[in-house]
Amino acid sequence: MISRRLFLGSSACAAAELFGAPRDAKQPSAELEKLAQTALREARRLKATYCDIRINRYRDQTVSVRLSPERGTGRTLEVPSVSDQESFGFGVRVIARGAWGFAASPVVTEQEIARMTREAVAVAEANARIQSRLVVLAPTRAYRDRWTSPFERNPFEVPVAEKLELLRAAAAEVKKEKRVFASAAMLMFHSEDKYFASSEGSSIQQLVVHTIANLSATAVDLARGISRTRNYTPPPLEAGWEYVPKMNFLEHAPRIRQEVLEHLAAPPVEPGKKDLVLMPSNLFLTIHESIGHSTELDRALGYEANFAGTSFLTPEKMGKERIGSDIVTIYGDRTYERGLATVAYDDDGVKTTRFPIIEKGIFKHFQTIRDQAHLIGEKESRGCCYADSWASVPFQRMPNVWLAPGPPEVTLEDLIAGVDDGILIEGRGSYSIDQQRYNFQFGGDAFWEIKGGKKRGMISRVAYQSRTPDFWQACDGIAGPSYWEQYGSPNDGKGEPMQTNSVSHGCSPARFRQITVIRTD
Amino acid sequence: MMWTREEAQKLAERILSLSRFPECTVTLAASEQANVRFANNGITTAGFVLERSVTVTSTRDGRSGTAQTTETDPAGLEAVVRRSEELAALAPPNPEHMPPLGPQEYPETGKYDEATARARSPEMVPHIAAVIEAARKNNLVAAGFFLRSATVRAVANKNKLFGYNRSADARLTTTMRTPDGTSSGWAGQPSLRIAEIRGSEIAARAIDKCLRWRKAERLEPGAYTVVLEPTAVGDLVGRMGFAMDARAAEEGRSFLSKKGGGTRLGEKLFAEFVTLRSDPFDPRLPALPWTGELLPSRRIVWVENGVVRNLVYTRYWAAKTGKEPTGFPGSLVMEGGEGSVEDLIRQTERGLLVTRFWYIRIVNPQTLQFTGLTRDGLFVIENGKVSRPVRNLRFNDSPVRLLQNAQRAGRPERVQGAEGGSLVVPPLVSTGFQFTSVSDAV
Repeated sequence: MISRRLFLGSSACAAAELFGAPRDAKQPSAELEKLAQTALREARRLKATYCDIRINRYRDQTVSVRLSPERGTGRTLEVPSVSDQESFGFGVRVIARGAWGFAASPVVTEQEIARMTREAVAVAEANARIQSRLVVLAPTRAYRDRWTSPFERNPFEVPVAEKLELLRAAAAEVKKEKRVFASAAMLMFHSEDKYFASSEGSSIQQLVVHTIANLSATAVDLARGISRTRNYTPPPLEAGWEYVPKMNFLEHAPRIRQEVLEHLAAPPVEPGKKDLVLMPSNLFLTIHESIGHSTELDRALGYEANFAGTSFLTPEKMGKERIGSDIVTIYGDRTYERGLATVAYDDDGVKTTRFPIIEKGIFKHFQTIRDQAHLIGEKESRGCCYADSWASVPFQRMPNVWLAPGPPEVTLEDLIAGVDDGILIEGRGSYSIDQQRYNFQFGGDAFWEIKGGKKRGMISRVAYQSRTPDFWQACDGIAGPSYWEQYGSPNDGKGEPMQTNSVSHGCSPARFRQITVIRTD
Repeated sequence: MMWTREEAQKLAERILSLSRFPECTVTLAASEQANVRFANNGITTAGFVLERSVTVTSTRDGRSGTAQTTETDPAGLEAVVRRSEELAALAPPNPEHMPPLGPQEYPETGKYDEATARARSPEMVPHIAAVIEAARKNNLVAAGFFLRSATVRAVANKNKLFGYNRSADARLTTTMRTPDGTSSGWAGQPSLRIAEIRGSEIAARAIDKCLRWRKAERLEPGAYTVVLEPTAVGDLVGRMGFAMDARAAEEGRSFLSKKGGGTRLGEKLFAEFVTLRSDPFDPRLPALPWTGELLPSRRIVWVENGVVRNLVYTRYWAAKTGKEPTGFPGSLVMEGGEGSVEDLIRQTERGLLVTRFWYIRIVNPQTLQFTGLTRDGLFVIENGKVSRPVRNLRFNDSPVRLLQNAQRAGRPERVQGAEGGSLVVPPLVSTGFQFTSVSDAV
C-alpha cells in the first residue's frame, strides 16, 4: 500500500504543500514513478503496444448552511452540512492487438498494479475480436514535468469553522427580510492530484484546485401558489481560498434578497420574437451546449451516438460551414489562466493547446485526442483528453471554450440601447438541447425587460428557443474586453458509464436579434 | 475487494471502535464493474473497474461531519474517522439532527444473481457481436453500451445497527443509424439477470425503429395525443418521484402545495387508473433493503387510483408532523393493463408514437414542467396505425399533466432511460401533450 504521506506531505511543511511535494517541485514524485514502472513493465511483457497509468488522488469538500423557518414556530433554523471526500486509486490503459483495454483499482500496490495491467490486456484482447479499426495514436513528445494550477491558499487547510461562519453570515444577510422564505450558501472545493506515466516515456504530475460557491434566496407566495429563487453564483475557477473573500458574498446578499422578491412579483413575459442581451452568467452555458458539444470530434464521428449523441457538424464542414455572424470567434483553450479545464497536459499526456473553433463565424476545428486526430487527417491531438476519476476511461472532453470579446468601445449600455423590445437575462436556468446540438431551450436566473433601449423592471417565466446556427448568426453585438467574464460548469456529463467534466466559458455580454421567447409555467 | 457479510461487519466494527464521538455511522460500499462500449460497428473502449469507499458520519451534541475515503488500511481508516470528527467539532449544531437509530430488521430484497455479478467478456462480447452483425446485415451502423455491475453495501452505527446487501445488475442498449445519418433507432434492456439479456432481440427492435423512421417529415408543433413507449413513460414519471416531498409541499414550493397553504394529500389529481408505488420487493427492480435514513425499505403507495396517498417524509419532518417517515420513492412501479404498445396504437385514432425522450430538464419546479426532446423514433398514428415518421419535437409539459390526461395503459415492464434511474412502467396514452418546436436532430 502506498503511503498516505506520499500525497499528504509531512506536517513540517504542510502550509506550503497540498498533497505532494512542495509546490515549487519540478519533478514528479519518485515513489509514483516507481509504481508506474510496474504497469509499464507488465504491459511490455504481455506485448501490449502502448500503456499508460494514472495514479490519482481527488478531494472534495462541501460546506453549506441553509436558513429556513421551523415548522409551527416560524423561527429561523440554521442547518449546517459538512462533508469531505477523498478518492485514491489507479487506472491502467493499454493497447493490445490494436484494441483498447482498461482496468482500475483503489488498491495502490505494485502487486495490484501488475494484476490490473494483466486485466487491462485481457480486456483489450477480448475487444480486438470485434473492432472496426485498429487504434492509432497521434504522436506526442515524452514529457517529465510537474504543474500546479494557480492558488495562494490551500482551501482544504482553512478551518471549517471559518467557512461556516462566512456562509452563515451571508445566508443571514439574505434572510434578513421576513418575506424571504429561505436562504442557502455553499462552498465547494475540489482538487485533483494526478500522476500520468506512459510507455512512450512521459511522467507528469499535476495538481488542480477548484473553488466553487453559491448563495441563494427563495421566496414563496402561498396565496398565489408560486415560489421563485434568485442566486448569486460567482464564476467557479481554478483558485484557492484567496478567491473566497473576493466573491463579496455580503455585498451581493442584499441584492439577491431584493431581487428574489422582485422576481416573485414580476409579471410574466409576453412570448414572441425578441432581441436578447445575454450576460456572461447566462451565455456561458449556451456556448457550452451549442458550440462546446457540437465541435467534439468523437460525437461527430459517431462514438457517442448511443448516449450524448452526434453533431450537426461533420468533418467535411471544417473550414467551410458558417455557424455564426462575422463577429463570432470562439476558441477551445486548456491553457487559459484559471479555466476549470486548464492543465498543462491532458490525460493522453499531450501538452494542452488553444485553437480556434469558430473564426469570424466559420467552423474551423474540432476538439481532438490522440486516437481520433488521424481520422480527420490531423497530425497531432489538440489535448482534449480527460477522465473524471482514476476509475474512468480517458476520452475526449471539452476544453474551456470561450467567445472572443467585441471591440473595446462597445459597452453593455450600447447593446441595450440598440434594443426596442427585448430581454436581458442573467444567470443559469433550465437548459436542454437535442442530441445533434441543433434545437435548444434555455431559461435563466433573472430576466429584465428592455423597452425602447432602456432596461426596465424584472419579468418572469422566460425561456428562449433557437437552433444553433440561427442563434449565432443572429448575434450582432458583443461587448468589449472589460466586460469579459469566465463562468463555468463543474458537472458536464458525457460517456458511458457517464463521466463529469469541469469547464469554463468566458464571454462578454452579447446581443441576439429576434429569438423565439416562450412563456413557461 | 467485495466484502462478505462477515468481512463487512468486522470492518465496520473496527471503524466504530476508532470513534471517540457518541454517535458514529459507517457506510461501506464496494463495486465491481465490467463494461463495453461500441460504436461504428466495433468495440471502442471497455473496462474492468473495482471501486470501494468508506463513509463515516460523526456526531456530538447535534454537530455532524461526514468524511469519505477509498483507503481501508489502518492509517486510512483512522484518518477518515478523525477527519469526520474534526469537521463535526467545528460545525454548529444542526437543529434538524435526528438521534441515531437502534438495530433494524432489514428485509431480504434478494437481488443478487451470481452469474450477473461474475460476467466478463466471454458472456458479454457475443451479444455485442450479434448486435453488430445484425447492423451490418441491414447496412446500418451500431453504437451501444453493455454494463454489468456487482455491488456490496453495508451500514452500521454505534447503536448496534447493522445491514448488509449484495446486488447485481446489467443492461445493454444500442442505437442503430443509417450510414448517411438520416435515421436512428434505439432499444435497450435492463435486467437483474444477465442471462435474460438478448443482444439479437435488442438489435432487431433498434433496427426496426431505424428503418421505419427514415424520411421523417416535419410536423407542426402543438398539443398532441401521445402513445408513449414504456421508456418514454419512465423518462417522465421517474422524475415525479423527486417532487413528492411533504416539506416542499407544505412550504408552498411543490405541485402538491395547496394554494393558500396545506398540501394536496388525499386529492384525486390523476386519471382513475393511475397507481404508483415503491416496491423494493419487485423481482424486476434493483433495491436496497434500507432507505437513505437507514430505515427498512418497505412497500409504499404514493398514488392510488389517481388519489395522492402519501408524501415523502424524512425522519425530521415526520417527527414534526406526527407522520411515519417514508424514505425516498425508489423502486417505483406504475401499474398498468395487459395490452402491448401495438394494442394502444390500435386504439388511437390520431396521435404520436414516442420511443423515448432526451435531455429532460426542469423548467418550473412548482408545476413540474419539464422540457426535453423526442429521440430515435417519432411517428404519426392515424386510424389505429403508424402512418409516417416525423422529425423530433421539443416538449414543454409535466408528468403531472401527463398522468392527469392519461387515457389508458398497457403492460408494465422495467425500463431505464438514458438520464434517469430504473423503474417499472406501462406504455401509456395521454392527450394534449405540449410540443413547442421542431428539432432537426437525428
